[in-house]
Amino acid sequence: MKILIVDDSSTMRRIIINTLSRIGYSDVVEGDNGKAGLEKLAQGGIEMIITDWNMPEMDGLEFVQTVRTQNPTIPILMVTTNAAKEDIVQALQSGVNNYVVKPFTPETLKEKIESLLG
Amino acid sequence: MDQSEIDALMKSAGAQPAPPVPTDPEAEGRVISEIDAVTVVTERETNKVMDQLDLIGQLVNRQQALITEMMKQPGAQDPAVQEAIHEIMSAAKDIQDKVFGAMDLMQFQDITRQKLERIVYHLRQIHDYIVELLGTGLKSEGHRASISRTIQHTGTTPDERKADADAVVEEYLRSRNKE
Repeated sequence: MKILIVDDSSTMRRIIINTLSRIGYSDVVEGDNGKAGLEKLAQGGIEMIITDWNMPEMDGLEFVQTVRTQNPTIPILMVTTNAAKEDIVQALQSGVNNYVVKPFTPETLKEKIESLLG
Repeated sequence: MDQSEIDALMKSAGAQPAPPVPTDPEAEGRVISEIDAVTVVTERETNKVMDQLDLIGQLVNRQQALITEMMKQPGAQDPAVQEAIHEIMSAAKDIQDKVFGAMDLMQFQDITRQKLERIVYHLRQIHDYIVELLGTGLKSEGHRASISRTIQHTGTTPDERKADADAVVEEYLRSRNKE
């Protein structure tokens, strides 16, 4: 299971990678904004995406919208500091499958990933 | 504070004497840049802490592997020794859990960074507005490339506006399934 992590914070990417490896997912690729994420996705083999919202160049929302025009089924989890109801709804309308607000616990991330992967 | 509030504030201050022109208008711009730089420095330093935590984790793993090997030795089969070894292994696991916990706590850096970026965005707006109004000084450097273009609309959410994300997701999925 190859997972793409898109976040402009290198600290946050490390934390997510660390959490994923603890719950059994160690095949991970990274991007530091939506544009970089699209490039990684184009290389193929990615089965799930974890993305931030606030990023330079291309933010998470635009990234998700672009991904959805190419791939309507890949599971996408948004992990962000945006916690207002309208933000969450906007993300879901854009094609996000589930939503986690930072700071998160490893248990929350595990639960969301497992529910998305069915 | 948005543009309309700044306009209203400036309008209401219209009857007052004009504020004194700063002796060094560039100083304000430098302060903004310094705050901005804090976000870069804290990310770098947080990664150094993460490196140290990674190292501790690796050392504990190594220790656990060595102890596992030791347990296979004939001299380690004594029940008292085995019990002591199990206790050491249990303590090593506790250390590993604490290391992971400390890594998870480092999320504070990203959250604080986004709060600061939003503050910097608004400070730049106010600074540029004042510079334009007074016709003196230099405008700020504008948008730093590494800051999200949407930071003024989103960023971190104030506690009173935080929603229960799970409940919102469930409600959304329910309403979509009904359609």
